[in-house]
Amino acid sequence: MVKQSKLGYMWKYKMLYFLSIPGLLYFLVFKYVPLFGSVIAFQDFNLFSGVFGSPWVGFKHFERMFSHYDFINILKNTLLLGMYDILFAFTAPIILALLLNEVRLMLYKKIIQTVMYAPHFLSWVIVSGIFVGILSPESGVLNVMIGWFGIDPIYFLGDESYIRTILVGSGLWRDVGWGTIIYLAALAGINPDLYEAAEIDGAGRWKQTLNITLPALLPVVTILFLLKIGDFMDYGFERVFVFQNPLNIQNSEILDTYIYKAGLRQLQFSYATAIGVFKSVVGLTLLMIANTLSKKATGESLY
Amino acid sequence: MTRFLTRAGVLLTTFAVLVACSGNNGGNEEANATKSPTATNNGNETADENKEPVKFSISMRTLNVAYVEKHPDINEDKYVKKLEEMTNADLDIRLIPHNEYQDKMVQMFATNDIPDVVQGSGGLSGAELAGAVANGVFLPLNDLLEEHGQDLLKFIPEEAWARMTDSITGNIYGIPEILSNPSRRATWIRTDLLEKVGKDIPTTVEETMEVLRAFKEIGVEQPFAGRQNFKYSDTFFGAYDVFGYLNQFKLFPDGQVKPSFFDTENMKKAIQVYKTMYDEGLISKEFATVESTDFRSNITSGKVGMWSMNANELPIWGAQLKSNVPEAEIALIPSPVGTDGKGGYAHYNPVTRSFYINAEAKDKAADIVKFFNWMVSEEAELFFSFGIEGEDYQVVNGEPKFEVPTDTEGTDKLRYLNYWLWMVQDTTYNKMVSSLSDSGLQMIDAFDNMLSKEGRRGIEFDPRLDALIQNPDLTPKSDEMPPLVLEKVLRIVYGKDSVDSFDDVLEEYLSKGGNDVIKEATERYNSKENAFE
Repeated sequence: MVKQSKLGYMWKYKMLYFLSIPGLLYFLVFKYVPLFGSVIAFQDFNLFSGVFGSPWVGFKHFERMFSHYDFINILKNTLLLGMYDILFAFTAPIILALLLNEVRLMLYKKIIQTVMYAPHFLSWVIVSGIFVGILSPESGVLNVMIGWFGIDPIYFLGDESYIRTILVGSGLWRDVGWGTIIYLAALAGINPDLYEAAEIDGAGRWKQTLNITLPALLPVVTILFLLKIGDFMDYGFERVFVFQNPLNIQNSEILDTYIYKAGLRQLQFSYATAIGVFKSVVGLTLLMIANTLSKKATGESLY
Repeated sequence: MTRFLTRAGVLLTTFAVLVACSGNNGGNEEANATKSPTATNNGNETADENKEPVKFSISMRTLNVAYVEKHPDINEDKYVKKLEEMTNADLDIRLIPHNEYQDKMVQMFATNDIPDVVQGSGGLSGAELAGAVANGVFLPLNDLLEEHGQDLLKFIPEEAWARMTDSITGNIYGIPEILSNPSRRATWIRTDLLEKVGKDIPTTVEETMEVLRAFKEIGVEQPFAGRQNFKYSDTFFGAYDVFGYLNQFKLFPDGQVKPSFFDTENMKKAIQVYKTMYDEGLISKEFATVESTDFRSNITSGKVGMWSMNANELPIWGAQLKSNVPEAEIALIPSPVGTDGKGGYAHYNPVTRSFYINAEAKDKAADIVKFFNWMVSEEAELFFSFGIEGEDYQVVNGEPKFEVPTDTEGTDKLRYLNYWLWMVQDTTYNKMVSSLSDSGLQMIDAFDNMLSKEGRRGIEFDPRLDALIQNPDLTPKSDEMPPLVLEKVLRIVYGKDSVDSFDDVLEEYLSKGGNDVIKEATERYNSKENAFE
């Protein structure tokens, strides 16, 4: 009896189930099936023998990864960049969204928004081209400006101590506007009655922001933060690769770029996959820890 | 109601676009499907005129050739059509983007979507082939060449065939395009500036530095053109013979085979030259981030006094520079020599491109070999040098009359015909076209009488040393030092480390896997196992 009513329930909402099929298929085909490809991390994968014909080698590639002389440095760079990314690139859109929310002139706000979305659509190759131009010691705008203060030109890209700032900065410039979209949507959903009531109670703009806007944003922030934590080790290959050169490589080599050079360029697919699996496991662990903590602290969580 | 209408409108347009796109694809596929059955039955050996054209697919790297990359559909190009007509073939060219060559090739092998003919770039074990030769993907060509490729066997030198031969089985797997003069890069100088400062053409490193200093004095922005990773600016590493590239292993007096930068005395001299240039402003302060496009525009806009480039670019770069700086004059000069009285750049592989036949295309293989055999005929030379008779050139009194184009469109087309579509030839220079212009004759003269006598080459291993594959940091490229060494050299040039600290990086090289590299290199050299000199 119970079973039938459940089927009946499903039948009643059959449209919704049908609608979900493409989405489910997408995740199945493009996200879950490729997961099985990770087994090549435990093989000596040969392109022509395939997954079923390649010999199994256990943890050989993981051992090789951990014993690599530069592994600690690469891991350190990856973690540091991930941390800076959360510290700056994650918080900046929130602040920007709050600031935009306070702009009174609609037209001005719209123009600002459009201008700030624009860089998001540039590829990293273009972004790096722009930054190389700006940072050039001979013709770059930045060096001309610091020249006004009597400082000698600095070869920013040729010095490992600036590269992290450049990487995070370029990411910030490209994506900060884009990142505000979801917060602005959340801000638009706040009931105006709350602000009116607060105003009657004598709260100024600052108090309103602190006691109404921020708490209303918190659920969105938490969800996005948790998702970001899951990608902690995935700083991205291209955005780093386009800025790398031998003079800054000490601080800019991360797991993603190392995978490319050691794994794909040298056709060491199993080795590359092993590093990738390691990255995913770390990401998943961090995500689970953060999710549990957040559930306890705020009640907000992904699952 | 209006909202409904706009929505419907948007939906309709989307559909229309989708249908139009898929319609196109479907159309092509259908056309292919109907053609293929007729094309495959060409087993009969008799070469009668009415024979169906042999239809085969071929993957080719675009090689940054503008004409190819801008073409909406290269298979519909009139020169491809003409080529098909002349060879009774029906090509299906699949372009591989120049910059993603290796990735796309590996993808092609991984998905088993392998065309009938695959273009590789060098030897049998190139990374782009992903080990396909060893895994039996391609057809051994020995018998086919004997039967249908006699002209190829005559035209292509033994040295190039050796690169296409598996040394264990003796099987030839590829048809190579060759470079008869491997000393392809040259030292270029602005002779008008040289005259202005009243100096002779420099021969030694010291004289060259004097010239560069004089250039600086008269206000040349970059006396010597530097570039990222010393690519096309390795002149002085060549003078001291310390490149250390893939084909620059050397037999040292201690009996070991090591990369040539282990000659620390000369290596330090070479690094010192670059450091001096950097300190004195003879090279751009930011040369470590100068890419190929900036490099080219710096030179062709007249900012540079001396540089290194492929010699066969002379007519094109020369024309471009002249259009920007009318008084500019350039010449190819002998590269500066170091302590051993020699100089020049790292020699190229004698094979520039190679063509492999898919084992599954066995039925068509004979015709495909004939197709390539035609490439070295006189008829082919005329077609690929000048183009189509009546359109690109006229025949007057039995002699072809051709005018060398000077505009971008014309030079792009010529480059495409001369170097891209002409698959098997000697790519050193195009004799027929170059003989027609002064700068071309100057280039031929430089190749035949100057460059052929210079350049550096050492021992090369193909397939690559296993120890190098395991250590990407120690792996040099064909024209770049290993990342580990390169990093140190740049640090020294930029004044972050002292010249003497170069010894440290060799220690580091050895401890990070370099000992294995040297051991394997020495063993393979001594046992003559796929080692080329």
